[in-house]
Amino acid sequence: MRNREIPKGVRDLLPDEVKIRRDLEKKAIQLFSSFGYEEVITPTVEFLEVVEASGNIREKLFLFMDREGGILSLRPEMTVSIARMAATHMRDEILPRRLYYSSNVFRHVEPHLAQYREFWQMGIELLGAPGPWADAEVISLAVKTALDFGLKNLKVSLNQIGIFNSLLDESAIEPEEKTLIRNLVEKKDLVELTRRLEKQPIDDKLKDTIAKLPTLHGGLEVLNKLAYIEKNRAAVNAVKELMEVYAALKGMGVEEQILVDMGVLRGLDYYTGVVFEGFSPELGYGLLGGGRYDNLLSQFGFACPATGFALGMDRLTLVLKNQESKQVRYMVGGPNMAANVRKADELRNAGNIVELDVLSENQAVLQEKLAGNPNYILVYIDAE
Amino acid sequence: MPDNCITIALSKGTLLNPTVGLLDACGLPSDGITSDSRNMIFTYEGDPRIKYLICRPSDVPAYVEHGAADLGIVGKDVIVEQGKDVFEMVDLDYGFCRFVVAIPSEMAGISLKDLNYKRVATKFPRVAEGFFRQHGLQVEVIKLHGNIELAPLMGLSDVIVDLVSSGRTLRENDLIELVSIMDSTTRLIGNRVSFRTKYDIMQPLLEKIQVLVKGE
Repeated sequence: MRNREIPKGVRDLLPDEVKIRRDLEKKAIQLFSSFGYEEVITPTVEFLEVVEASGNIREKLFLFMDREGGILSLRPEMTVSIARMAATHMRDEILPRRLYYSSNVFRHVEPHLAQYREFWQMGIELLGAPGPWADAEVISLAVKTALDFGLKNLKVSLNQIGIFNSLLDESAIEPEEKTLIRNLVEKKDLVELTRRLEKQPIDDKLKDTIAKLPTLHGGLEVLNKLAYIEKNRAAVNAVKELMEVYAALKGMGVEEQILVDMGVLRGLDYYTGVVFEGFSPELGYGLLGGGRYDNLLSQFGFACPATGFALGMDRLTLVLKNQESKQVRYMVGGPNMAANVRKADELRNAGNIVELDVLSENQAVLQEKLAGNPNYILVYIDAE
Repeated sequence: MPDNCITIALSKGTLLNPTVGLLDACGLPSDGITSDSRNMIFTYEGDPRIKYLICRPSDVPAYVEHGAADLGIVGKDVIVEQGKDVFEMVDLDYGFCRFVVAIPSEMAGISLKDLNYKRVATKFPRVAEGFFRQHGLQVEVIKLHGNIELAPLMGLSDVIVDLVSSGRTLRENDLIELVSIMDSTTRLIGNRVSFRTKYDIMQPLLEKIQVLVKGE
């Protein structure tokens, strides 16, 4: 017998799961399309150089070489690929451009529940649109998609990465220490963060503000707790922008799901403005995430503001699994196959799912087979 | 995971007593939590918002990362060794110990670079390997589950990487500390998502603990 093993961290998706997945996809496509987003497909493999536009993530990449000597990577996410594509093919188009995708992506992570090495993302990118209304469109669409999926208790945490970045940038901290501090904030290691900050030659109030940022969470009033902010112009602007996006989201009717959370500080080299992450209390991992990345496209020679999000389809499927109801299906059997086929077609034409008993079992056997499955309706046509 | 209740994973063993002291100081229930209790889950009718789970220290990060527990109390040594994705919130300052590289006393006088290609016995392969790699050295790490000091005595390894608090075990086994890798104390860790979804319970608790730790 041949080996039945599959590589670590990848999975077979069986009909039950695929069905939920496809239902979700259909809903998302409908919603994205109604907002004017159009689907794009990019290659599964990209050059390492392209992939690294999003920062140094080499240890999470599946790398290999092509026969021409180039280093290739399985795509770890879609945004960089779409940025590259847009910079190649869409420079002369009328902006903004609205794009969506539904793709498998690959990361070399330690696999566990809800984290796999091959996983599926759906998302949108809004290219060529600066300003709070563009951010609000993207965030509200993320909320609406999750609600359309039937997700209960969704919370979306909002932040403006510029608040943290400008506080740090304008401080007298050494560049190397800044990188370290960024890493600690991303890792959420408050203990080491506080320790590092204590050694810095900066205002105590600033130390306190930076150390507290990762835990500030709530409504807009959170922003009042940022004691040091008013001394820093860039940070003040970032706060203002966050408030504008919040107001725009209110205008779009999705403020109920929105929280302000200064702890959403991921991909600090990559995002440039408002960022967000979506959660449900039913799963200990994020379900969706995104934000503004105005500098990414210029790395490919096309200076173009952009914002977008990705939905973790595997995680959403996991959370939504319990909420699905199984569709009824028919099983048509009987000794006269021609009559069975006619009946099956008739039922199908009426919009039903119909299986034909191609094994020609007798009624008792069929009844026994289907006994454990309440979704089946048996239609047995006796000989005339 | 119900929204209005938080689960805290506590480490069994030496950390348990000071941890109970901390819970008391925070005004949280702690009745019946002892190392020799056969119970592993503790709930309190008087305070239905709190639930405890007592487990091996090395299992605490796993419970917290997966969200089976919202908070955990565990040593930094365990956190670095496991490398789990958890939110490290407060240094609780107790349970102090250090990771050290220790060598048999007859090797005294050597320096770290002399350990290239040597065999290192340890309970903490990730910490040990990371440390030597960082210094540009390659070693053969031998993972053991306890009584690491035995390995060099029996010729299983040349040196060890282990946790020490007083240093007594090293002395008794004729081992001496070569370098200190890092300090470790007990930490309060949290699940990344719980902190957001249960912010109303977790944030005040976090602040209370921060004040308590600073005050002492």
